Amino acid sequence: MHIAAIFGLGMAAGGCNTGVKSPAQISLKDIYDFKAKGNFTLLHMCDLHAHIKPLYWREPSTLISAPNLVGTPGFLCGEAFAKHYGLEPSSLDAYFDTYINFEELAKKFGKMGGIAHMKTLTNHIIKERGAENVLFLDSGDTWQGTGVALKTGGEAIVKAQNYLGIDVMVGHWEFTYGKERVKELIDMLDAKFISQNIVGDDPFADEYEELIFEPYTIEERGGAKIGIIGQSFPFTSTANPKEFTEGWSFGLRLETLQEYVDELRNEKKVDCVVVLSHDGFSVDQEVARQVNGIDFILSGHTHDPSPQPITINDTVIVIAGSHGKYIGRLDVDAKDGKVKGYEYKLIPIASNLIPADPEGEKLVHELYAPFAKEFNEVLGQTKGMLYKRDTFFSTFDQLINDAIMDEMQCDVSFTPGYRWGTTVLAGDDILMDNVYEMCGITYPNVYTFELKGEKIAQLLEDIADNVFNENPLYQQGGDMSRLGGVTYSIAVSNKAGERISNLKIGGKPIDLNKTYVVSSWGGNLQKAGENLQKDKIRPVYDVVRDYIKREKVVDVSNKGNVTLLDYSCGCPTKGSMGC
Amino acid sequence: MQRRDFFKKIGSVAAVGAVIPVMSFAADAPKPVSPNKMDYKVAVDAITGGKAPVKSSKVKLKVPEIAENGAVVPVTVEVDSPMTDSDYVKAIHVLSTKNSNARCIDVNLTPANGKAYFSTRIKLGGTQEVVGLVELSNGEFLIASQSVKVTIGGCG
Repeated sequence: MHIAAIFGLGMAAGGCNTGVKSPAQISLKDIYDFKAKGNFTLLHMCDLHAHIKPLYWREPSTLISAPNLVGTPGFLCGEAFAKHYGLEPSSLDAYFDTYINFEELAKKFGKMGGIAHMKTLTNHIIKERGAENVLFLDSGDTWQGTGVALKTGGEAIVKAQNYLGIDVMVGHWEFTYGKERVKELIDMLDAKFISQNIVGDDPFADEYEELIFEPYTIEERGGAKIGIIGQSFPFTSTANPKEFTEGWSFGLRLETLQEYVDELRNEKKVDCVVVLSHDGFSVDQEVARQVNGIDFILSGHTHDPSPQPITINDTVIVIAGSHGKYIGRLDVDAKDGKVKGYEYKLIPIASNLIPADPEGEKLVHELYAPFAKEFNEVLGQTKGMLYKRDTFFSTFDQLINDAIMDEMQCDVSFTPGYRWGTTVLAGDDILMDNVYEMCGITYPNVYTFELKGEKIAQLLEDIADNVFNENPLYQQGGDMSRLGGVTYSIAVSNKAGERISNLKIGGKPIDLNKTYVVSSWGGNLQKAGENLQKDKIRPVYDVVRDYIKREKVVDVSNKGNVTLLDYSCGCPTKGSMGC
Repeated sequence: MQRRDFFKKIGSVAAVGAVIPVMSFAADAPKPVSPNKMDYKVAVDAITGGKAPVKSSKVKLKVPEIAENGAVVPVTVEVDSPMTDSDYVKAIHVLSTKNSNARCIDVNLTPANGKAYFSTRIKLGGTQEVVGLVELSNGEFLIASQSVKVTIGGCG
């Protein structure tokens, strides 16, 4: 199957729509509707990526994994997702959770997320439950992802978290502000920052083999003692530049996780053990298999919306999407050291339906005001929808590759397979703010250097194994790097090192002995290259801005550059290689 | 000068000394052939004398799934053993399946060690299995292994 961008002509056509509520028919009551349970409520947010304003965010139309993981939660999209969770076509949930008919439904339901809208919802829940019975947990990837975050060194987002009333958090992209800045931001943050899996590994530092953060915290809500253990992203030092966290060692550290679970249960006598995690949804399913005694894992990192919790080895796992699109509400009945029951709902933050809290609108306005002129500059328009996500290819990444190849005159361009970004609808203006939403990172430079064909082929296999390894513990939770100037075929279920074939550069079969000029940003590839062209180094957001301004109207090809050999569709269902 | 600062300075001087020759000769020097090249199979046979080691959960091997830095991968081997005169661990060997020299370290123990536990850092040339091979006082060999990925990363 050739993987192209799919703009969604899915299952919802004509007569299937009976019974689906239009926005006018959906009331706040429907969104708030919840059968309250037990003695306390955990509110959960993950992967906000600094989106304090509402946005459009389209879920993937391709989400491919090793065959053993196909159709399992964490690897569900589109029609397979709708079928698994029983979504009604064209409903609000279908709009939030899948790519199907995205553009049409975007016009119907409007933007998603935004802290002012989240706050209205959390205020409602706090009023219903009582402030002393509600705890708000944040799985991280909160401080990075927009221009306002980048320009304020994360501070704008810490203010947003304080406004939202976050109680506890863990991190991943947070660390890309560097160790010192992370500590400064934690000082400004009202919430506790915890992690049991970050340990000093510099033998000359005071913190050698010591925990960098508190491993857990015990909070009392609704008369229950809740033990919360922090699990930051285990692969921060390989997924992001090492220099930001020099001297800190990450990793899953399941032995110590088990020790903290036992300590909380046996010594601290808590009523409920929660792991607040940035491991990723599929990795946390593995964690639940290997560590005993966890009641709930509130997961993050892989951006999956999961309308229903999953239970593995008596551990209930939830994950609440990304970009502020959802808040997870978990009501728990726990006392005498035991969880007796729970109720969960993934609540969509439909910004046209949940009114904004005026205080939040004011805060967002104040935070954006110093940068309004730069961020609101209209760079151009887009002919088709620009989106990020999908396993191999997405249109906004293609635009970035087009911009890099145009300016750098390289043979190959690499753009990282992050899962954060934004969506711009067809015909809409592209603002500078949108460019920052796609590439606002603290190491934005585009590097241009030389790589042997052999090395390029080997790197692609290496990246493919990070994405498609059959064991979630060996994945890093991102998608394939997006390549400009390159086409290839891939057999995902092949052995590591043997997945990629028919690799072509500039339309010609790759010459393994030839040296190619490669541009890349957001990764470590330049370290593998030679003859770095120092005079060409420039931040990616400037390269993309200038390109859009030159083009005025961008018309990105949605053809895709990857042929998938062993699957017949982008969203396969369980037990099959197709839909 | 504080002790730590002193070591830091010594450390950085040593690092510079080590890096410069590599940089200046890397381009033209032929790839050196390791004088100690040893395949995994040969290394295991050399230790066991050809006897097949038994996979055992008594050998607890602790290594990361994904190495943060392939040059210093932490490895810990712990063996469930009473460490008495009649039943103890004679040696712990750490091996890698694809390094040029598969044999990373050999540690000899006696009952006086009290505990069969050893922790170190090894260098891995690429993604491969790390192996803990244990020799018992009764002549048996136990083994445990785990795959460690060494990757350039950058996809998160």
